[in-house]
Amino acid sequence: MGFLDKLIKHLSPVDYAQPSKQAAKERLKLALTYDRGGLAQGTIEQLRDGIIQVIAKHLTINEDEIDINFDRTSEQDKLIATIPLRMAPRPRMRGGQATSTAEKAPPQSSKT
Amino acid sequence: MAGRVITVTSGKGGVGKTTFSANVSAALAGLGKKAVAVDTDVGLRNLDIVMGLENRIVYDLVDVVEGRCRLQKAIIRDKRVATLHMLPAAQTRDKSAVSPDAMEKICAELRSQFDFTIIDSPAGIEGGFHNAIAGADEVVIVTTPHVSAIRDADRVIGLLEAAEKQQIFLVINRLQAEMVRRGDMLDIPDILDILAIELLGIIPEDESIVVSSNRGELAALHAASPAGRAYKNIARRLLGEDAPLMPMDEDKSFLKWLASLFKGRAL
Repeated sequence: MGFLDKLIKHLSPVDYAQPSKQAAKERLKLALTYDRGGLAQGTIEQLRDGIIQVIAKHLTINEDEIDINFDRTSEQDKLIATIPLRMAPRPRMRGGQATSTAEKAPPQSSKT
Repeated sequence: MAGRVITVTSGKGGVGKTTFSANVSAALAGLGKKAVAVDTDVGLRNLDIVMGLENRIVYDLVDVVEGRCRLQKAIIRDKRVATLHMLPAAQTRDKSAVSPDAMEKICAELRSQFDFTIIDSPAGIEGGFHNAIAGADEVVIVTTPHVSAIRDADRVIGLLEAAEKQQIFLVINRLQAEMVRRGDMLDIPDILDILAIELLGIIPEDESIVVSSNRGELAALHAASPAGRAYKNIARRLLGEDAPLMPMDEDKSFLKWLASLFKGRAL
């Protein structure tokens, strides 16, 4: 990279530290899942609220860290929910934070 | 003769459909095939000016549809390549002057006279799009590595599947190798992963395309242009030849990078 390129990057307001390709891919996949499924805006937020309600009946979850996303591959579209648990109130467990993700626990993941 | 009718479409405007149609038609003609490029963008015609044939128009597509002249009379023969032809769109009418039925009839007639009929479609997914795909045997979707163009391409693929078009191919236009290398442009496997259709070709970003269209010349007829070489390779791939996806003498490191991407991929 030439000196001029470095200078331009240094002065530019655009964040060059993070390559933007990954952001493009993730945003596209989400938008295309909405487009293809004809999903209404806000579907993810509604799902999030619904999932919290159901899970919270049985487990103590960390609501702020819930991550719900669509993943789109050529084979299928997937809904991936990552739901961190607060320490479960069971005597057997000795401290620390138990984490359960949808990928490991199938009942929390559903296909769209 | 039973030629092939190939529609070039994209959903989004400005991705290079017209330049692609003009240059691939020229490249096919340069390879000895009888080719005709058809402009279906009624009201916003541009294929004529990109091909440098804007001063030779007497009759147009709508004149043929409405029976004012025979198809033969509206087709312009290019003077640079003997087997290259162009059928212009009308400029003073709108898309409703043509119907899918009318296009099917015209395509059937062109199929019997030309090896390749390349149909340049308007931007959008309304009537003009449905006219453009009505008579197509194959469809080429032109996209760029930008999120907007890819999203629109996906929408168009859905519409083509609904219209029961079986042969759908992807062309990625205006790829900037340096931006891909530093991770700031979606690369080919990313785009193929998202759109999941067969890749026909890749065209690098090339300033000489602006120069060619300024002059009404066709890059595919000049050896010096990287994009022109990419168009020629696409024409050869359409003929079933094993032409490379990118021009041979591109930046070596880019080629190496590309080779690493395709290692183990069936393409």
